[in-house]
Amino acid sequence: MAEEVRMAYPDLRHPFEKKPIHGEGSATALYAGKVIEIERTLDSDSLWVTPEDLTRINGFELKPEGACFEALCIPLGSGSKLIKVEGDQQWFDLLGFADWLEQPYVADSENRVWSFGEVPAKRESMMANAMAPEFEVLDREGKVVRMSDYKGKKALIITWSSW
Amino acid sequence: MPVWQHIYEELNDPNFVIISAAQDTGGEAVAGPIFDAANATYVQIVDVNHTISSAFNFVNVPAAAWVDELGKIVRIDEGTYAKTHPFGGNDVYAPALMDWVKNGENSEYVQATTTVTKNIRAQSFDELKAEAAFRLGNFFREYGDVDKTEFYWEMAKALNPGSVNYIRQNLTLSAEGSAGESFMKMIGEYVGEGRDYYRPLDLSEK
Repeated sequence: MAEEVRMAYPDLRHPFEKKPIHGEGSATALYAGKVIEIERTLDSDSLWVTPEDLTRINGFELKPEGACFEALCIPLGSGSKLIKVEGDQQWFDLLGFADWLEQPYVADSENRVWSFGEVPAKRESMMANAMAPEFEVLDREGKVVRMSDYKGKKALIITWSSW
Repeated sequence: MPVWQHIYEELNDPNFVIISAAQDTGGEAVAGPIFDAANATYVQIVDVNHTISSAFNFVNVPAAAWVDELGKIVRIDEGTYAKTHPFGGNDVYAPALMDWVKNGENSEYVQATTTVTKNIRAQSFDELKAEAAFRLGNFFREYGDVDKTEFYWEMAKALNPGSVNYIRQNLTLSAEGSAGESFMKMIGEYVGEGRDYYRPLDLSEK
C-alpha cells in the first residue's frame, strides 16, 4: 500500500517569505475563502465595522427589516446593541452578530485577524432539502466560478489533493 | 485524474460539467502539473482554502457530489475513485456517473432527497469552527509564519478530529510529509478499529 501513496512536491511546501499582514491600524477578516482587509474599525479591541464592510465581509446588508443576505433577514429591532452611531458614522458589531447567528470564529488578536466559519443558516437549504450550497472560487485562469453558474447543467463536483 | 478527463470526453455532453477542486495549500505549483498531465478541459480549481470541501461538508479526499440541473444534490460524499484503489475505490462509480449523465432523474443511481440529506455530514459548532481555524492557519502560512500556521492547523484538527483533510494537510508541514509514518499509522488505526476511511459506496441505496 505504501507504494501507492506519496507526498507530491515536498520541496514546495514552504514557499512563502514572512511579510507584514496589513497596514497599520487595519484588521483582516477571513470568510468563505476570501481575505477582506478592513481599514477602519471603531476600536482596536473588538470588531465594529462599517455597514459597507459588513457587506464586503459576509454579504449581509443593513436594511429597515434587519441584516439581510438574499432572502434571509435577521431582524435587529430598534435600539439594537449591534449598532452604534458615533458622529456621522454607523458601526456594526460583527462579533456580536456572529454570536447571535451561532457563527463560529477564531481570532488572532496579536495580528488583528478574525477568521469566520460558515453561518449555519446559510447551510440550511442543503441540510434540509439537499440543495447544493453556493460557493465562489477562482479557477486556474482567474475566472470566478460559482455553483449557481451551472444551473441547467448536471455537475460532478469532485475534490482531491496532491497529498 | 486522466480517467475523469476520459469520461468527460466520452460523454461529450454540453449539459454536463466537471468541477474539479484540488484542495491543496501548495497551490498551483503542486496541483497545476497534475491537471496539466491529465490534459484536463473541465473546470479546474486550485482550492487552497478547501472552500468547496467545506461547502459540502466533506472530510476526506477524493469526495464528490452529483448536482442536477435544478441545483439539487442527488448523490454525495463517497470515496470517489474512478477505478480500483487500495483505499476503497472500485470500478463501479464511474459507470454509475455516466449512467446518471445519460439518463438523468431516471438513472437508478439517483438518490432520494431524504437519502441525500441523511448522507450529508451534519457539522457541529466546533466542526464549523475548525474551518475557521484551518483558514487562519492557511492565511498565516501565506504570510510566512510557520509557527502560527502549525498552531491554527493543530487547533483545526483538535476541533474536528474526524477530518482526514485537516490531518493530512497538516502533515504536509512535517518532515515526514502527508503520506509518511503518521499517515500509515492512521490508516492502520482506521482498519484496526473497523472504521471506514470513506463512507461505503452503496449504489443500491435509493
